[in-house]
Amino acid sequence: MKNNKKYWKGLAQLDNNPDIEKLAHNEFAEELPLDDFLSDDLSSTNTSRRDFLKFLGFTTAAATLASCEAPIVKSIPYLIKPDEIIPGVANYYATTIYDGRDYASVLVKNREGHPIKIENNKTCTNARVQASVLSLYDSARLKTPLKNGVEAEWSLVDSDIKDRLSKIKDKKIILLTATIFSPSITSLLDNLSKKYKNVEHIMHDAVPYDGILNANEESFGLRAIPSYYFSKANVIVSFGADFIGNWLNNDYSTDYISGRNPKKGIMSKHYQIETNLSLSGSNADKRIVIKPSEQKVLLSDLYSSLSSGSGPKDNRLSEIVKKLKANKGSSIIICDSNDIKTQLIVNAINSILGNYDQTMSMTMPSYIRQGNTAKVNNLIKEMNNNEIGALITYKVNPAYNLHNAKDFSSALSKVPLTISTSLYNDETASLMEYVCPDNHNLESWGDAHPSYNTYSLMQPTIAPLFNTRQFEDTLLKWLDGSDYNSFLSDFWRKRGVNWEKAVHDGFFNIKDRKSQVTSIAKLNKNVLSSEINNTNKIELAIYEKIGIGDGTQANNPWLQELPDPISRACWDNYITISAVTAKNLNLKNWNVANGALNGSLVNVTSDDVIIKNVPVMIQPGQANNTVGLSLGYGRMKSGKAANGIGLNAFPLLNSKFVVLENIEGEHEFASTQLHHTMMGRDMVKETSLAEYINNPSSGNHTETYPTWKGDLKADELTFYDQQDLKTGHFWNLSIDLTSCTGCAECVISCQAENNIPVVGKQEIRNSRDMHWMRIDRYYSSDMTQELASKNDVSTIDMYKEMEEPSENPEVVFQPVMCQHCNNAPCENVCPVAATTHSNEGLNQMTYNRCVGTRYCANNCPYKVRRFNWFQYSDNDKFDFNMNDDYGKMVLNPDVVVRSRGVIEKCSMCIQKIQELKLNAKKEGRPVLDEEAQTVCASSCSTNAIVFGDSNNKESEVYKLKNDERAYDLLDHLNVDPSVFYQTKVRNKS
Amino acid sequence: MQKESKIRDPLILGNKTYHDITRDIARPVEGKANKYWWILFSLAAVLMLWGFACMAYTIGTGIGAWGLNRTVNWAWDITNFVWWIGIGHAGTLISAVLLLFRQKWRMAINRSAEAMTIFGVAQAALFPLIHMGRPWLAYWVFPIPNQFGSLWVNFNSPLLWDVFAISTYFSVSCVFWYIGLIPDFAMLRDRIDKKLSPMKKNLYGLMAFGWSGKAKHWQRFEEVCLVLAGLATPLVFSVHSIVSMDFATSIIPGWHTTIFPPYFVLGALFSGFAMVETLLIIMRKVVNMEAYITIKHIEYMNVIILFTGSLVGVAYITELFMAWYSGVEFEQYAFLNRATGPYWWAYASMMTCNVVIPQLYWIYKIRTSFVATFILSIFVNIGMWFERFVIIVTSLHRDFLPSSWTMFSPTFIDIGIFVGTIGFFFVLFLLYARAFPVIAQAEIKSILKSSGSEYKK
Repeated sequence: MKNNKKYWKGLAQLDNNPDIEKLAHNEFAEELPLDDFLSDDLSSTNTSRRDFLKFLGFTTAAATLASCEAPIVKSIPYLIKPDEIIPGVANYYATTIYDGRDYASVLVKNREGHPIKIENNKTCTNARVQASVLSLYDSARLKTPLKNGVEAEWSLVDSDIKDRLSKIKDKKIILLTATIFSPSITSLLDNLSKKYKNVEHIMHDAVPYDGILNANEESFGLRAIPSYYFSKANVIVSFGADFIGNWLNNDYSTDYISGRNPKKGIMSKHYQIETNLSLSGSNADKRIVIKPSEQKVLLSDLYSSLSSGSGPKDNRLSEIVKKLKANKGSSIIICDSNDIKTQLIVNAINSILGNYDQTMSMTMPSYIRQGNTAKVNNLIKEMNNNEIGALITYKVNPAYNLHNAKDFSSALSKVPLTISTSLYNDETASLMEYVCPDNHNLESWGDAHPSYNTYSLMQPTIAPLFNTRQFEDTLLKWLDGSDYNSFLSDFWRKRGVNWEKAVHDGFFNIKDRKSQVTSIAKLNKNVLSSEINNTNKIELAIYEKIGIGDGTQANNPWLQELPDPISRACWDNYITISAVTAKNLNLKNWNVANGALNGSLVNVTSDDVIIKNVPVMIQPGQANNTVGLSLGYGRMKSGKAANGIGLNAFPLLNSKFVVLENIEGEHEFASTQLHHTMMGRDMVKETSLAEYINNPSSGNHTETYPTWKGDLKADELTFYDQQDLKTGHFWNLSIDLTSCTGCAECVISCQAENNIPVVGKQEIRNSRDMHWMRIDRYYSSDMTQELASKNDVSTIDMYKEMEEPSENPEVVFQPVMCQHCNNAPCENVCPVAATTHSNEGLNQMTYNRCVGTRYCANNCPYKVRRFNWFQYSDNDKFDFNMNDDYGKMVLNPDVVVRSRGVIEKCSMCIQKIQELKLNAKKEGRPVLDEEAQTVCASSCSTNAIVFGDSNNKESEVYKLKNDERAYDLLDHLNVDPSVFYQTKVRNKS
Repeated sequence: MQKESKIRDPLILGNKTYHDITRDIARPVEGKANKYWWILFSLAAVLMLWGFACMAYTIGTGIGAWGLNRTVNWAWDITNFVWWIGIGHAGTLISAVLLLFRQKWRMAINRSAEAMTIFGVAQAALFPLIHMGRPWLAYWVFPIPNQFGSLWVNFNSPLLWDVFAISTYFSVSCVFWYIGLIPDFAMLRDRIDKKLSPMKKNLYGLMAFGWSGKAKHWQRFEEVCLVLAGLATPLVFSVHSIVSMDFATSIIPGWHTTIFPPYFVLGALFSGFAMVETLLIIMRKVVNMEAYITIKHIEYMNVIILFTGSLVGVAYITELFMAWYSGVEFEQYAFLNRATGPYWWAYASMMTCNVVIPQLYWIYKIRTSFVATFILSIFVNIGMWFERFVIIVTSLHRDFLPSSWTMFSPTFIDIGIFVGTIGFFFVLFLLYARAFPVIAQAEIKSILKSSGSEYKK
């Protein structure tokens, strides 16, 4: 059937109305008044007032709407997703950190392609290594190569340098580097000297160890550092060497603490004979305070009495001599002196005691420090004599950290070709013609051979952030070689290393041949000394702070804000002085109205060096008539966090005596702890080894209260129902005060994991530090409650005197973070229930719900709650890493960045707990004890912090909870914390 | 009709008639403000605006603008809060408790005392609001049904109890005050010429709720007043008890004491009466109420101040005794530190102003002197501010772990906000003095024939 259907739009179309036909050809039904709009003569238009207002309204509204667009955040999806990256899931890469100062084999946690956290890889790390992940994102790093201070292209710089290097005929090409223990770099340097003429390699350590190196060369024919096995030593005598802190590479604490385990009944006896109060001195069983000039005398005395069998002249040594004689072959004598003669005595003593090849070894040495000051000094001479044709520096900053930096800088102008490979346009690089910026460790390939039989590998964890190139690649460019990655893998494959496995593990083993050493010669008696400086001259002892070290990472705000474990001050260096000497010199410390510490200022003069306006801090445990001063501060060309902070002490590196001159004015310190003694309270419970062996719960006394049921402990007195914590997990944290050395690594680790802001010096002064965990440090006081009642001292006087630390105090460290009370005082006072308890024993903070009344912080007996007094991120007033697009890359995406006005605190790394619970659930297995870790626990080099589920009877934390040494902090409050401490045991026998 | 012994001192001086009273009390409202009023008002307004600027700065940048720190998380904010709440207490006591005890002398002062209560509580209520880290979320402390999920307030928290206590107190005080004002508004309404100022007449007419002075109106008025007095009386004791629980229920030595509720209530009455005196001694001069606020009124209040001041002194000593007797070293140290630590001067000021100085009221001449009373009332106000400062700051700044011990020092913002609330308070009070009858004229007329000086002859 034929389809007769017809569709029409309207009757007019059906009727074939001609108007419709006409209209169909016009787009607009009516003529648009375009002429009116477009004509120049507005007066002739017929736009009505109403129309005008309509147009105005519309355009205004449209313009407003258009400007209301939300800020665009660009996120670029993977076009082809790399197999190993799953958004939200972390990757771990094994690598090595070595910045010329600190060496560590580490695991790097990567999220979405960028490193956010450094974890230990079966070795010790320290606070600076932990913080180095932030240094990667330092926007003060050089972003391109420089030629004469102007940005340049790599190709141009390379061709220039190659050309000029090859033209050097009779002058020397000097490579001035930090200690290099990378076999591949050594081989590259060989190649370099094959290609170019007169290449010489000089190593320079910011803090020199020539004394011990040269002494070993003389004693053993090998210029190296011995390996020390502290766990094998029954007696450790350290003359000033802060081996738990910064001496050499500070990787001795694991070994040291494993030799101090009261549970196993082993505990070395540690004597520290030192001038400044160091971390090692704080941990020592006995600390003897000496002036630096006494060191050699005491060592000579010790040597004489050990070799002759007669008693020591100085009776401070008699106990030590006795102990050493009883422990031949199982003791260690170390010394921080940079004087070869002193170190020769130390070698001789160790040799007499038969310690070599027992507790220390020269046949299996450490290569961690090889710097040679004599060669550096010679270099300056040669530079001045125009004998140097080119100077290439790597991981060194001599214009800052030489004691004669000025000489170096002026000599530098006489070198025709100067090339720096620094990461920063620092004090040295800014004086040099070319800067070929090196990559950060975390962007580089590399290898390291820090000690006998130990090899570790470095692999990039992120593509270079900036237009930088690692030093090895730069060398290869100048050698016309291939890229360093293939050079490195070929290098080790040729030596039979399973490359893939080695990269995966981060370390590998090759059997080294033992070093050939000559046997130690008898000590020449000339080196012994008995001259004591009895004058009133002030002696100087230079030291490094735990946070800043030699200043390599000075521009790291985490490290600047890390309170010094001893003085608890940050953002500063200062003269440390004993209370007696300070009084004699009329130097003072005092607290201002808001509690912050202020101090006097002095000018420090030594020979021709004068350092002006040096703040003075009174330091208990400092030897009288001595002062300590730390290195690493006073940087001028590092970055905004470091520049102008503190004073540069390197010019005083070799000074023995200083003159202090009182000057007008005062210094404002930023100190996180203003009160230094325990005031007769028992926050840190302590016992001696002998008493502990006798009664493992000695020193761990719990108060009881008389009731009608008899004497009861605080936790048996409550009339509230206890929460059920027996089902499911019960997360507990044990902190062993015997093992904790106070090194503060956990503090930085926590800061990195939990996105804790840096608040700057002024806010620290306002007592507004944000660290979720702190390490309280208490000094002992001469006044005790027993003494007061014996001598009839009034209570008021007793407390006054208790505030004063002893002259040579015993020191205790106590890490304190949220104790996760199961009867939490913070929880019931929050009006909006923003802080609540989990059924796994955790006190949880809901930032979103917090309105910021701060009642919880007031009611917290441990004062661990931190309030966001200001907006700390994206705020120009807090211009640290959280106000910087690069710096923000270090933030942990699993942890929220808190806004202003909310309370925050330790969450026991709840994000890690959640992750491991989810993983276990996915894999259908229970949570394993070893995988449950908070970052403070996992980063602790001495295993002092142990985390786990105490409902798991197999777990380590369960055992520790039931240990006789376990106690709750402020147990009389019965807040029932999930964190508990283990009594500190000292070896007092 | 009341009967009163002739030997009692008259409470209304100067042979007033009912019409005289009406005229005297309506005069400040109907007349023009004098120079003193303008000077005081401008000063108060400047302080108030400065305070508002400081508050705006705090809300804009964060609580870091204040001198607080990780150890001392409350200081001037809560000190001011408790101080203002305390000041409010005398008003309720005068209007409610003294009503129930049929103390006729309260009639001259209850209106202003209640106004002081309301304005004081308004100042106090500012502090919990602005001391929050995120004040824009302050409504979360109210149990409002919401769609945020299962979020609800925490009924365990004393801060929440505060919310209820203060809002109840504020609303009951307002209602009580307003009920008392109705006959007086009607009086004002009736005196206004409609032609000259129709707006004013309408406004007062509206506020008078159609009061016509019928016997039935008076009967209901009396009943409502009695009922409200009965309701308000427990509030006198509950509000400050609950405020004290902010401290008493915590575990901080120096806060955790069972003596706090009665101690705080007494302290509040003590400071409240002092503030009433400060205000009335000025007011009777500025608005010419010498005939109604007599030295007898002042003396009565001085006796109460002496009594409560002595009790507060007993409380202070009891605290010290309990600290010693408890044998708890933290408790002992907290109190020892209060008296001899770095804030000894605050403790000494508190002791001097609150315990020693009010003892001067044993002396008749001082008790019956306007000048001496005025000076002493200022001392008590200062002393009671220090009492709260001492309790809050000295307890917090050295608590359990010496590692966290630090000090507190106010910033200029802290000071600005406090001064600003004083300005705000006076702005409100001065406006009140110009718009409201400052003495309950309807009530005071009821005792004219028993306590008026003419009838005492």
